[in-house]
Amino acid sequence: MTVKTSFSEKLFNFCNYLFFILVGLTTLLPFVNLIAKSFSSEAAVISGKVNLLPIGFQTGTYMYVLKDSMFLNSLKNSILLAIVGTALGLFLTTITAYPLSRVQLRGRKWFLLMFIFTMLFSGGLIPTYLLMHNLGLVNQFPVLFLPAAINVFNMLIIKNYFEGLPDGLEESAKLDGASNIRILFSIVLPLSLPVLATIALFFAVAFWNDYFTSMIYITNQDFKPLQLYLKELLVSSSSEFLKDNVDAALNTTPQSIQAASILLATLPILMVYPFLQKYFVKGVLVGSVKG
Amino acid sequence: MKSATAPLEKPQAKNNYVKRLAADVKRDWDLYALLVPGILFLLLFKYAPMYGITIAFKDFNIFDGYDASPWVGWKHFAKLFNSPDFLHVFQNTVIISFLKIGILFPLPILIALLLNEIRRMLFKRAIQTVIYLPHFLSWVIVSGLFIDMLSSNGGLVNKAMGMIGMEPISFFLDNSVFRGVLITSAGWKETGWSTIVYLAAFATIDPGLYEAAKIDGAGRMKQLWHITLPGIAPIILLMFILRLGSILEAGTEQILVMYNPTVYKVSDVIGTYVYRMGLGNQDYSFTTAVGVFESVIAFTLVLAGNALSRKYLQRGIW
Repeated sequence: MTVKTSFSEKLFNFCNYLFFILVGLTTLLPFVNLIAKSFSSEAAVISGKVNLLPIGFQTGTYMYVLKDSMFLNSLKNSILLAIVGTALGLFLTTITAYPLSRVQLRGRKWFLLMFIFTMLFSGGLIPTYLLMHNLGLVNQFPVLFLPAAINVFNMLIIKNYFEGLPDGLEESAKLDGASNIRILFSIVLPLSLPVLATIALFFAVAFWNDYFTSMIYITNQDFKPLQLYLKELLVSSSSEFLKDNVDAALNTTPQSIQAASILLATLPILMVYPFLQKYFVKGVLVGSVKG
Repeated sequence: MKSATAPLEKPQAKNNYVKRLAADVKRDWDLYALLVPGILFLLLFKYAPMYGITIAFKDFNIFDGYDASPWVGWKHFAKLFNSPDFLHVFQNTVIISFLKIGILFPLPILIALLLNEIRRMLFKRAIQTVIYLPHFLSWVIVSGLFIDMLSSNGGLVNKAMGMIGMEPISFFLDNSVFRGVLITSAGWKETGWSTIVYLAAFATIDPGLYEAAKIDGAGRMKQLWHITLPGIAPIILLMFILRLGSILEAGTEQILVMYNPTVYKVSDVIGTYVYRMGLGNQDYSFTTAVGVFESVIAFTLVLAGNALSRKYLQRGIW
């Protein structure tokens, strides 16, 4: 009896491990394929021979992309957007979350309801577009980060985290005569680094990845962020957009250029992600699951 | 005496309330001050567009503005229900949404349960790191990856299919498989990340319950059925009600980067339709009506879902 159970458990475990290895491969193989294509020669890519390893190794594709002024300009816009957007978003979201986490705040319920309502109901695309138009924000860089500066979901995560901090710290600070703002900045915030790091990562990723906002509001080439540039690059795939531009001597193809651009756009996320992982797992847990 | 004091009490209570409020605001004035930017932000960027919904009931003209455009009542909504275009788009939205909920809602729960059975922490953490990753990529990039993997010229999927003797498929141009592409790619991107909440919920289950069950001779399946699943049921419910709110969203940002005119027939949803007709054709009033229809249904579903769950399961999200 026990032997039988342990055999079926062993079989289950084996299948389970195998399953997750397959899931892992399914997630990673598209990247491996893309890397291979970005380093492969024109002939190998066009004939569709490249699988998981580069064929006819070359680095000309990357040279091309990294010299392309449109790519570089959109990259610069995205970096600026991620930095400014994250800083403003984190600041505004935190100073809003703090009062809402204080039980003594009169009218707290109503304020909260006002925020949560906007998660459930919105004016929709067209009224929002017309508002931006009326505010004169269309085709202006701030339209990319201003309307997204307070994210109610992120605000609730921070608020829940603040609520979980021990009350005693604050009370003793209050007895010493510290103001609420003083308490926030010198006691609460230093204790909240995990959740702040998480939310900063969420903001940065959201701004880095957003193509929709820029597609709606930005037509000016100078302000286009990386994702919009990439989208146009992918849609125009084998069209004139690239064919005219690619120098034949570089030994590369539109497909390789797309591959290299996608990888370069993903690189910043791949670089910060492993370091922040332990924070965001912890941060999300504390913030979203309250039993 | 009673009747004489009663009318006196009321103004006093009111007075007291105002006094208490004034005292509170005076004591915590800096808390209220911190809240001001957030409230202004909400009013400007969230509530002002809600006022803009009025243009669904007007013949809006951008040169006349909100106030000068004439009221036309339910005209645009009437047009909406009589438009074959809209009915078609609505149908697509519902089909894609239901496929996504039906397949992609249970999937993370299943993956989390299986992942929870893995005892080697190093392996578990490595898998978690890998499966969270696609969540951090943009739809533009995921779309690029899928176009590449599924292409009929050298795409890995078609090559693998060729090896087992199948004909190549143009996934992005074929009306019969394109919805499958949408659902698979959404699953590829978000399933791993969605497990995070369930994995967190496992940690809140009292380990003593498992100990007791083991002593009573319950095997893994029994423990799963009688402890783990009931333990995470509230979270499953919460996630489901939240999901209801986006039932008519169907993945606008995803579809906008993935679809093309060849597959409009099976993939044009409310969000993409509003984008094309609203911003492309500047048909502002009509597409606002379409958007309002979507918002109202979503809002109602969340309220109804919550009410039902409170009534029958004694739990709600508020």
